[in-house]
Amino acid sequence: MKPIRLSVNGRDIEAEVEPRQHLADFVREELLLTGTHLGCEHGVCGACTVLIDGAPARACIAFPVALDGAVITTVEGLADDPVTARLREAFMGEHGLQCGFCTPGMLIMARDIVLRLPGADDAVIRHELAGNLCRCTGYIGILRAIRAVAAERGAAGEAPVVTRGGAVAPPLHVSPLTLPVTPTRLSTSGDERPGRGEDVPAASAAFVPEKLCNPVELVQEFEVPALRAKVWALFQDPGRVIGCLPGARLTAPSDGHSVNAEMAVKLGPIQAAFGGTGVIAADPANWTGTIEGGGVDRRSATRVQARLVYGLDELPGATATRVRVEVAYVLQGPLAQMSRGALARELAERLTAAFATNLAGLLRGDAVPAQPAPLDAGSLLFSLVKDWLRRLFRRA
Amino acid sequence: MKAARFDYLRLDDLAGATAALAEGRARPMSGGQSLGPMLNLRLARPECVVDISRLPDLRRVEARPGGILYGAALTHAEFEDGAVPDPTPGFLARVARGIAYRAVRNRGTIGGSLAHADPAADWPTALAALGARVHLVGPAGTRELAVEAFILGAFETALAPGEIITGVVVPRRSAQARFGYRKSCRKVGEFAEAMCAVLVDRQSKVHRLAIGATEARQLVIAEAGAAIDSPEIIDDILRAAGLAADPAAFRLRREVVRQAIAALATEGQPA
Repeated sequence: MKPIRLSVNGRDIEAEVEPRQHLADFVREELLLTGTHLGCEHGVCGACTVLIDGAPARACIAFPVALDGAVITTVEGLADDPVTARLREAFMGEHGLQCGFCTPGMLIMARDIVLRLPGADDAVIRHELAGNLCRCTGYIGILRAIRAVAAERGAAGEAPVVTRGGAVAPPLHVSPLTLPVTPTRLSTSGDERPGRGEDVPAASAAFVPEKLCNPVELVQEFEVPALRAKVWALFQDPGRVIGCLPGARLTAPSDGHSVNAEMAVKLGPIQAAFGGTGVIAADPANWTGTIEGGGVDRRSATRVQARLVYGLDELPGATATRVRVEVAYVLQGPLAQMSRGALARELAERLTAAFATNLAGLLRGDAVPAQPAPLDAGSLLFSLVKDWLRRLFRRA
Repeated sequence: MKAARFDYLRLDDLAGATAALAEGRARPMSGGQSLGPMLNLRLARPECVVDISRLPDLRRVEARPGGILYGAALTHAEFEDGAVPDPTPGFLARVARGIAYRAVRNRGTIGGSLAHADPAADWPTALAALGARVHLVGPAGTRELAVEAFILGAFETALAPGEIITGVVVPRRSAQARFGYRKSCRKVGEFAEAMCAVLVDRQSKVHRLAIGATEARQLVIAEAGAAIDSPEIIDDILRAAGLAADPAAFRLRREVVRQAIAALATEGQPA
């Protein structure tokens, strides 16, 4: 807990806060100012918008611990603000709200728009309001309300007001609520509820493959200088195949049909450790096989479902084999939301490429580390350089 | 979702901050507009967040020979509003105005955007095209790198443990310089799906072009005179970079590059 001092709606607050508590939770839970609403909790929907030092900001991604000394204004603090009063009338007159969930954030953003940009036209208002989502109105009523107030201010010759960085004093309204109120904390010690730890082993129940809905699909083909039968044998050994994926390893010995595995992935600040199960099926007649699996990153609660289909073709001369690997996967949860489809795809491509490199190395007889390092840009670059050097020397 | 537990440190000087960051799993935070969502989604789980937003060195603006040094903790809104001087004919304010949303621009910082190195972010691509250089300080001392050398890939930078960005130097451009900047987003303020920035300053014979939103590091063409005159060269560059695999995405990227180049003629000058 860290001590902070804030001014909230004109009232000086001294409080002890946990660093991880965000501003919206602080004003709602500690100060009972529940006008600030929480939608997405990662800065996308705008419902939690408040004024920090007079300028609009997302309360869900601002942390009070870092706001020591700041002046906070929530929608309650705008009760007596004349601009907000005019906006409230306009929102009512133009059907600017229905359920009201987005309205506190809309009002705070609308106030900023009409102050900063008097006389703003529809295009400007749409651009400025793009960060606040509304599911009821279709925005038209909100747009009309803001346009009406902006036009009034433009016609009255009001000068633009810079709201940024405390350049204008935020309205002072002492909230009628008795402050501060600190509810009893449920727990002050570590989060020890079952299932919350990071060391909980992956579920080991038998895996039943599901159909993948709208998967991302990748195909990688590469040649290895080994007999097809040798490559085939390797694909039937789960421990060795899994070991070719950077950061992956078996968590329990495999019976040759089902696997329990874990895999660590690092992408910049994102670190995920997927634990999961899968099943292996082989079709020796056609030299193809399938590995299907699913897992969960317990830290972010991201789910992944994936299918790997491999096919082996003998190349002329029978001394080399062409390996075709088709990967299809679906990511669900925070990691998919945050890293967006394309970035996850880039990561999967890098993973598939590293898998191919490691597999080729293994078949050539190179030792693959018992537990390869988690994939990241640095180690991947290193492995590519290493591979290139190895090939260079082999040729010489 | 709520962030996992982390400790919080705010130090008064750069040396203290870099020392704190060199230890264990600490991450620097300035405006917190990229790290905040990652903390809440529990994708980033640092043991300690080191607040660098109030370090005086990171809030300064200094004229340098040939350009201006901006402290890393200056916000997008400060650039948008012209609260800091601009060594270009208004290019920085134009870029800043299109970043996310005003509520994010009020807190998000130029240094944070570079350090986060999201391929679809505005500053990494725009500053690479403008020929900016990043100033770093860390346990091993100070160094500076061109933006395109600083960013290594998606979310990957040249930052060593304990190292932070102190500022970025944007070179001065002549009043005749022109800047074309285009991005394609599903919705205003969303992450871009295609992005291109072009700088032409005939006075100093500078032709630079940067392609962002590549899912990896930016593509930067430092001598882009030929490509600007015949944009089909860019198609080959996109193909060589593996950005032509998806036909729809390829068409979108080509179009955004062409529009950015075409914008040189119409909106290179301040409004």
